[in-house]
Amino acid sequence: MIYLDNSATTRPCEAAINAMTQCMRKEYFNPSALYAPALLAEKIMRACREEILRIVHAPTGSRVIFTSGGTEADNLAILGGTERMRPGRVLYSAGEHPAVKEACLRSGHEAVVIPYDRTGRADVGKLAELLDENVRMICCMQVNNETGAIQPLSEIARLRKQKCPQALFHVDAVQGFLRVPLDMTALQIDSIAISGHKIHGPKGIGALITAPGMKPHARQVGGGQESDYRSGTENTPGIAGLLAAIRAFPREHEMREMKLRLWRAIQERIPQAVLNGSDPADPTLTAPHILNVSLPPVRSETMLHALEGEGILVGLGSACSSHKQKVSPVLQAMGLPRPLLESALRFSLCPENTMEEMEKTADACLRQYQVLSRYQRR
Amino acid sequence: MRELIMVRYGEIYLKGLNRPYFMRALVSRVKEAVKPFGGNVWLHDARVFISDMKDRQGCLERVCKVFGVHSACPAVEMEKDDFEAICREASRMMADVNGTFKVEARRSDKRYFLDSPEINRRLGEYVLTENEDHLSVDVHHPEHILSVEIRDKAYLYCRVYPAVGGMPVGTGGKAALLLSGGIDSPVAGYMIAKRGVQLTAVHYHSFPYTSEQAKQKVLDLAKILSEYCCGLKVYVVPFTEIQMQIHEKCPEEYTTLIMRRYMMRIAERIARKEGALALVTGESVGQVASQTMEALQTTDEVAHMPVFRPLIGFDKIDIIEYAKKIGTYETSSLPYEDCCTVFTPRHPATKPKMAKILEGESKLDQEQLIETAVENAEIVEV
Repeated sequence: MIYLDNSATTRPCEAAINAMTQCMRKEYFNPSALYAPALLAEKIMRACREEILRIVHAPTGSRVIFTSGGTEADNLAILGGTERMRPGRVLYSAGEHPAVKEACLRSGHEAVVIPYDRTGRADVGKLAELLDENVRMICCMQVNNETGAIQPLSEIARLRKQKCPQALFHVDAVQGFLRVPLDMTALQIDSIAISGHKIHGPKGIGALITAPGMKPHARQVGGGQESDYRSGTENTPGIAGLLAAIRAFPREHEMREMKLRLWRAIQERIPQAVLNGSDPADPTLTAPHILNVSLPPVRSETMLHALEGEGILVGLGSACSSHKQKVSPVLQAMGLPRPLLESALRFSLCPENTMEEMEKTADACLRQYQVLSRYQRR
Repeated sequence: MRELIMVRYGEIYLKGLNRPYFMRALVSRVKEAVKPFGGNVWLHDARVFISDMKDRQGCLERVCKVFGVHSACPAVEMEKDDFEAICREASRMMADVNGTFKVEARRSDKRYFLDSPEINRRLGEYVLTENEDHLSVDVHHPEHILSVEIRDKAYLYCRVYPAVGGMPVGTGGKAALLLSGGIDSPVAGYMIAKRGVQLTAVHYHSFPYTSEQAKQKVLDLAKILSEYCCGLKVYVVPFTEIQMQIHEKCPEEYTTLIMRRYMMRIAERIARKEGALALVTGESVGQVASQTMEALQTTDEVAHMPVFRPLIGFDKIDIIEYAKKIGTYETSSLPYEDCCTVFTPRHPATKPKMAKILEGESKLDQEQLIETAVENAEIVEV
């Protein structure tokens, strides 16, 4: 099997599995307990917090609130962060994950979309027009999950400083964490959401990193864990797994080279292939691991299953349901024409993929394309 | 005294000399249905009784899904000689019932010392006196009926659960159901099975145009149907090759009809293998292009056995209601492709010409395509 859907989820690494097993076998104590062994669990949590703060270059006094995953972290930041504010506007970029979009829509503030340009990046010019003293929060992801486009966070940070320094700045870094550098201090970001299972850690763990001034109102109340921001006994095996996964994530890898190889191999074999998004070679524009390609006229879902039949698992740009075509909002926001929307595929890599797998995938694409492109609606 | 479930049958009453055959089938079906509940099942005095089951309510609901059962009720069985005890038990049964009631006695033991009107009066009086604060009597339009049947024992019950009716599965022969992932075909299957017909399902799978999820969805539907049908065998027929060849070689506006004709041929082949005597489809006149009168004629023509279309005169909205009632609607509505729209022509023929169909089909190696499809069908028992 060749697994190329790492943006959906990743295979937990051995280190994470071992750390979790160990934590469940031996360090299962409640970190709030008063006896000595409970301290072990507390220690792991502290180490994990420090590691995360270091990686995102968090300013001194920042906090890591462990959550059940990226969705809860986004919800806590947006709903909890804007709950006690005077009604105003919250802005979110057109390609945000539903965890962000839905939270903005339910925040009680007016939710306004920051449009995307053709390459799948937030349109900074349009954003400048939207910013004024009534903006309460700006939400923009670090890396788009469907196209891999790196969002112009520094431009957004600059505009925000200029036009509405009072607004909170929330970044969903679920796709970019560990793969694309992020400087929380330099960009004056107020909160960042990350998730364990996208970086070869376990599912069910994530975190919200908050800058010193950011104090979201708790969404979940109870025993007052996580400094009252998120009650509930801490998911210590999850946290141990997250820490191990972060430490095990290779600092050097060939994901971008593999991605480029894949794209070029597809391009050589199928001249009709179209790349969706910016230059895959440019590390300032695209993340190393995501490639979004349309193979018109073959529908995404058909190609996905055909590749599945060859043992290659990829993701979808758009999903078709029985009668109506459900099209990816991200690609739609980029203004892609219908044939490209309906035939988009997402290949997302992990450091353990190989060059050989890229060639094999391109070969399989060609094999299936030759058959399937003949049998499309005329 | 013991608690049991009393099951009444419906249409079997109308049977003459062969009634025992239907009764045996009904008892077997009830036995199979309640097996997980571990009860005893027996036929006595024109009723089927179930006793010593683990979960009476669950067992009751299950029995109500057995075709041939008219209704079922939780009942109490007592010695009939102690009328005082019967009154006490009846009163206890009515203790948590509010509103108006009446007593309905039935006395098949004509030697019993009270006749029915007398039982009604005495029992009614007792229950009313004991429960005066929350019950009153209304003999014309009661909200609740307290029934007492005096047979070799006395049986008391006050809640009757209507069941599905129909005839016991297996008494009406066998048929093959063309089962898609849609709303209609499971309903059609249900309706025919309800007449006592044992079904075998045939599903066409077009990987990679349709996914594993789409196949699982059909198996889930079959699972729901199997509760009523006493098990269901599903033939999952690989259909991609046939669809591709049709798409490639036949006139576009006829691809759907030719495909339907192939589905009928394959289903018939499977039906014969299974000893089935008819095909069942979920078609309804005019619903889509392949279901116009003309189109139905062209698909009917290839089948050499009766094709039952129980939904033929139903509106979609009525079919949906039915599907909700039998519990298949939610699964049917899951958004997976069945026969992917990739192969649907933009303008399918609604008034097809047979000559054109035959011309298109002549380009295909029919026997070989059908043979391969049937041979490679995956058989799943749900």
